[in-house]
Amino acid sequence: MTAAGRLLRLELRNNVMLWLLPVAGPLFWFVTFRPGLAYPPMWNLRATAMQTSSLAVFVPLVVGAAAWSGSREGRHGVTELLAGNARARWARQFGTWAATTCWAIIAYLTCVGVLYAVTAGTAAWGGPLWWPVAVGAASLPAFAALGFTAGALRPSRFTPAVVAIAAFLALEISANFIQGFDSHWQVSPLVANPWSLGADEGIATFYRYLPDLAIAQILFLAGLTAALMGLLGLPAGAGGSWLRRSATALTIVGALCAGTAVALAGTGHLDKNGMIAIPTLHNSAYDRPVPYTPVCSQTPIPVCVHPAYSRYLPAVVDGLAPVLTEVVGLPGAPVRVDQVAAAYEQGSDNDAGIARSGAAISGTPPVFNVLLPTQMAHRLSAEELTGEVRVGMARDLVQNLTGGGRGADDAQEAVTEAMARTSTLPPGSPVAEAARRFTALPAATRHAWLMAHLPALRAGQLTLAELP
Amino acid sequence: MNVELGDVTRRFGRTQAVDGVSLEIGTGVFGLLGPNGAGKTSLLRMMATVVPPSSGRIRLLGADPGAYGPRRQIRRGLGYVPQNLGFYPRFTVLEFVEYFALLKEVPTARVPRAVAAAVERVGLGDKATAKLRTLSGGMLRRVGIAQAIVNEPDLLLLDEPTAGLDPEQRVAFRALLRELGERATVVVSTHLVEDVGAACTRVALMDQGRIAFDGTPDELTARGAGTSAAGDAPLERGYSAVLAEVRS
Amino acid sequence: MTVLSGRSRLVTLHLASRRVPVAVAVLLTCALVLRIALHRTWDAYGALQLPLFFETGCAVVIAATTASPFGEPERATGRWLPLLRLGTVLALTAIAVGALTALTTGAHLAGGSLGVLRNTVGSTGIGLLCAVAFGGSLAWTGPTAYLVAGVYALYTQWHGPALTTPVLWPARPSSDVKAAVCAGLVFVAGAVLVMVRGSRDSLTRA
Repeated sequence: MTAAGRLLRLELRNNVMLWLLPVAGPLFWFVTFRPGLAYPPMWNLRATAMQTSSLAVFVPLVVGAAAWSGSREGRHGVTELLAGNARARWARQFGTWAATTCWAIIAYLTCVGVLYAVTAGTAAWGGPLWWPVAVGAASLPAFAALGFTAGALRPSRFTPAVVAIAAFLALEISANFIQGFDSHWQVSPLVANPWSLGADEGIATFYRYLPDLAIAQILFLAGLTAALMGLLGLPAGAGGSWLRRSATALTIVGALCAGTAVALAGTGHLDKNGMIAIPTLHNSAYDRPVPYTPVCSQTPIPVCVHPAYSRYLPAVVDGLAPVLTEVVGLPGAPVRVDQVAAAYEQGSDNDAGIARSGAAISGTPPVFNVLLPTQMAHRLSAEELTGEVRVGMARDLVQNLTGGGRGADDAQEAVTEAMARTSTLPPGSPVAEAARRFTALPAATRHAWLMAHLPALRAGQLTLAELP
Repeated sequence: MNVELGDVTRRFGRTQAVDGVSLEIGTGVFGLLGPNGAGKTSLLRMMATVVPPSSGRIRLLGADPGAYGPRRQIRRGLGYVPQNLGFYPRFTVLEFVEYFALLKEVPTARVPRAVAAAVERVGLGDKATAKLRTLSGGMLRRVGIAQAIVNEPDLLLLDEPTAGLDPEQRVAFRALLRELGERATVVVSTHLVEDVGAACTRVALMDQGRIAFDGTPDELTARGAGTSAAGDAPLERGYSAVLAEVRS
Repeated sequence: MTVLSGRSRLVTLHLASRRVPVAVAVLLTCALVLRIALHRTWDAYGALQLPLFFETGCAVVIAATTASPFGEPERATGRWLPLLRLGTVLALTAIAVGALTALTTGAHLAGGSLGVLRNTVGSTGIGLLCAVAFGGSLAWTGPTAYLVAGVYALYTQWHGPALTTPVLWPARPSSDVKAAVCAGLVFVAGAVLVMVRGSRDSLTRA
């Protein structure tokens, strides 16, 4: 083993971060693992949420431990004893910082590994997202360098405490400054996907996880690490002139990298797939959809969803079932209901428009394309999703068949209301009364009438009085 | 000569700690005596390359410690036990000594053997795996000596090394000093004259930053003969006589 | 020297040994920075989380002052030491709460003064317990870990299911009696233990 390896081994055995692992483990469980499992077993949701919440667990502990390690020589009064040795102070400090970082990364990867292993056992489709893990792992050396530098430059009983809290505050508060999808603050490693969108199933499902922002963040963190560690090599006692020149170069290169990353983050925009795209870093290969085999229901009109959404299929089918029974076999009725990707559109500030990509009806025979509600996790129970599908998606399907919707005539509105089983019309109005009458018809009668009159109804050729 | 000092001075603010010291020290055990505040520790720290002199010339092990490269070379052959020995409480004895072996750039392959040998030489073999926080003050002092000799230094600087050692340990330590002095330059700063008498081949007495006496222990003893200088032992009387002479 | 001046000299020296003047400066700085930060408009998370960071910052500083640079020689002294320890903790806690409250008067401080009092006292209690267990210079670990949990608990108030246990008092309204009792009990336990035993000093030097 080399001298550097032996030094690292010694430091690893005696590093305070090792003591903090029993604190980090339960905190990770409480703040990241438990809430992560509350999300549906979809890699995109769990991975992006993990990136944000796990840093909240590790950053304050790593910064405090590193500051504690950095101030060790001063606290224990060995500065003079160590100063008379051949190996440069910078090399010595590097070993201590590396040990803190190693333990932090080992702990982080272990925690994330457990979360990913559990997710792998339950996820319906896809594989682990590694970019969020990489950003998290790159954050630890940077924050360890921050704490270590503070501890080494200002050894005091207050330093680890104050620096740990201050770094945590800076990390958490950075998210408050994100205004728009071109915010420089997106370089904060907390940000895994567009900050204002939050956990969204639609991101990184139909398309690959776009790593543009993650690359900028890793560049920033690597630069920060280099600049901070370089700072330690600048004082006269850090080492020889060659080493100090190297430290100066490292500091400058690190600062440039960090600055470049911040600038790159400021050129980001919301791409149509819901991720932050940075033109300079963008690889168009990520714009191609990921092939998949949909999961379909055994209903008169099959309802097909992306396999990642398979757990939502029963609720969607429940919501659509009454309408599907009603429209099956009618002229122009879809032969299949397909889930399609969402199209994201950048609005002002933090706003984003989310709509169905493409037309509602496509192909011959016709296929009805639907967009499932976005950000369902933590927002909708299965029953609520069924209800939302019934009033939204099912009605949309009927409207496409009857010609209802905006600009519809009274007859179209009444039939749409009756078929969709919704109640959006003013009670007691002639249209509502016609809808009630139509609903009250036997299903066979209703179906026969629609078979005969649906093309005329869709063309706006029927009046309210002509409804049965 | 392993140590060559020419008119070396050192100031700390308005305090003149070392004032024009010139010394040449070769192989053997060199005792540095003097009352508290005489400048012994400051002189030793300069020899340990921890602080530079305010003025004057220093050459150690044939090299100038003013430049980084030669200083690093000197430090490879240097052992130093400061007056206030700090330690890492969670390190074991072996880990602490190994840590210093690595910092002194002892060739990696030699480190385990060198560490074990150093720990054995100070009589801590049975405590090798004990955490430093569990050791007594005397044992910690011996750990400090072990780290200083782990690289088999050509220049060993010891500041009050016997403080906290029991009589048996002090006797053993003096024997160790004599053994080390056969091939290296050992500079021992102390205010305990019996250590000097038992182990040193040459002794200097410092007072107010200057060398007041430089000679053998016998010569120092002779300076006290026939005087009324205070002291329970002949060497102590010599010590007191020289001090009284320079202060008169 | 009169008895009174002897006692005041003892108090002065004790405070100096614990770096209390520096601690007071840091506490006042915390309050001042919070005041400056409150000039900005924060979103819902930021508004609630911001004071908690500064309250915890004060708590870790107070806990760090418990470390003694003297160790056993000091422990073997007379009856004044426990009172000095307790007095230092109480005085610093009062200064922290007072400064945070006074300097944020007129600003929109989530949780109000009662929230500041509860959170600062509770986090300080955790810090004091950690000081007894791990030493004054590692006492920051407990309040920091609790801060992470507290920030998450606040987050769950928007993204349910909300954590409502009084043990996580930062997430409870400042009028919640159970939460206040929890924080108070932790502080009392920490203060009493620090008074009786002092912070652990065998492993670390302050």
